[in-house]
Amino acid sequence: MPTDWTPAALSDDIPAASAAPGQLGPHDLAIWRSASGRIAAWADRCPHRGMRLSHGYVRGERLSCIYHGWGYGEGGQCVRIPAHPELTPPEAIKVPVFRAVEASGVIWVAVEAPEAPPPEFPGFEAFRSLQVKAAPEALAGALGGSGLVVEAALGGATVVALIQPLRDGAVGLHLLAPEALGAAELDALSVAAEALRRRVEEGVTA
Amino acid sequence: MSETGAMRDHWYPVGMTKQLTEAGRDTLLMGEPIRVFRDGGQPQVSDGAGRALPVIDRFGHVWTSLGTPAKDLFTIPEADQPGRRLVDVGVCRVRCSPLRAVENFLDIAHFPFVHTDILGSEPHTEVERYEVEIRDDVDEVWATKVKFFQPQAAKSAEGGITTDYMYRVCAPTCSVLYKTCPPKPGEWDVIALFVQPLTETLCDVWPWMALYDDDAEMTDLIHFQQMIFVQDRSVLENQLPALLPLDPGMEIPTRADMTSIAYRRWLKRHGFTYGAQLVAA
Ligand code: FES
Ligand SMILES: [Fe+2]
Repeated sequence: MPTDWTPAALSDDIPAASAAPGQLGPHDLAIWRSASGRIAAWADRCPHRGMRLSHGYVRGERLSCIYHGWGYGEGGQCVRIPAHPELTPPEAIKVPVFRAVEASGVIWVAVEAPEAPPPEFPGFEAFRSLQVKAAPEALAGALGGSGLVVEAALGGATVVALIQPLRDGAVGLHLLAPEALGAAELDALSVAAEALRRRVEEGVTA
Repeated sequence: MSETGAMRDHWYPVGMTKQLTEAGRDTLLMGEPIRVFRDGGQPQVSDGAGRALPVIDRFGHVWTSLGTPAKDLFTIPEADQPGRRLVDVGVCRVRCSPLRAVENFLDIAHFPFVHTDILGSEPHTEVERYEVEIRDDVDEVWATKVKFFQPQAAKSAEGGITTDYMYRVCAPTCSVLYKTCPPKPGEWDVIALFVQPLTETLCDVWPWMALYDDDAEMTDLIHFQQMIFVQDRSVLENQLPALLPLDPGMEIPTRADMTSIAYRRWLKRHGFTYGAQLVAA
């Protein structure tokens, strides 16, 4: 089931009022969640002087840059320049925004809104993300499948593996586990996922 | 290989005089390997081919050039005033353009956010209008009448005060700032930033100070300055693009950035583009 959305992170890994770096093809992203829980994916670059916005801080419904505190709200619009508290920032000061939606505990991103919503995986819930130094095909192959969405047996469970191509020869592996797995089963799944990563990475260097 | 351009014929710091040994230090200057060492007590610098490069020993640091500098290294007259403590802070390596390191040093608007509760704090974020000029007689960028509210302006400061600043860019990768000196009203503390361009995106930063601070331990003064710089480094290593954009359009300055605007203009005017990028035509 191919999709035009790219899985960029798990919802639980970006709690309210926090920001983290992500990728979408050639684009660096600042993925952030407002205090009220809204998710957004923006270009990871402050228009003022190029600081990465993923290093910024969230207050309320705004993401602020850590360098000079410029604050950005809805649609990436700059709404505050602390050096000039009286100034209403010109509309032209705007961070490029990407599409970001959540489904099945996964944050999906896209440049333009794809026609179809991202896939849902009933009966599964987001479990864990890992970075693997390998090609997407190598990872899919090691999971016994192909493409970027693979249903696989791992650590004694059936999981959904979402594979996110990253730059510099790496991939993101976002794992969805069956709902209602116990703690011991989840631990086993974690161990299996790390073993898989080692195996695939050794395959790369061998 | 990147062009060293007009910056080749200028002086750069390449080590602390006090730390120099006969065995020497292998380092880089604008991408070229050099060796800084002591010979017969005198600081020496040689390039990759073993050729001797010109040397100046000043402000606690050894200075050299890959080219032929037309001018002597700048001076800091305050350094000779009696009663000042001269502090070699040491080196801080930063994965950034040497020009971005200098620009950051010229910037006060980041104090409340990067040096929170030390050099600045919210809500005191406003940058009032100040004056900037390129002084043609000395060919330096100067910013004067800069004011900023600071919770702890220096190691010797207790409680918040409004600090006055002056900034001076006296070489492509060197800047000197003057700031209100809490123990000696009417005088200025002097803090310099000497930046050694290792490559266009890597530099060794050598802060240096000439202070009227009688009480503090030397190690405390050094640690204070190092802590400040480590905070700056977290920003400097995360700016995009890594090279300093000299043409307008890529970044959006405001009135608080007048010093940066003048610095970029001055760099461009002189063809000081090592560590900079010009917009592709
Ligand atoms: S670089 Fe973001 S506020 Fe200055
Ligand atoms: Fe700073």
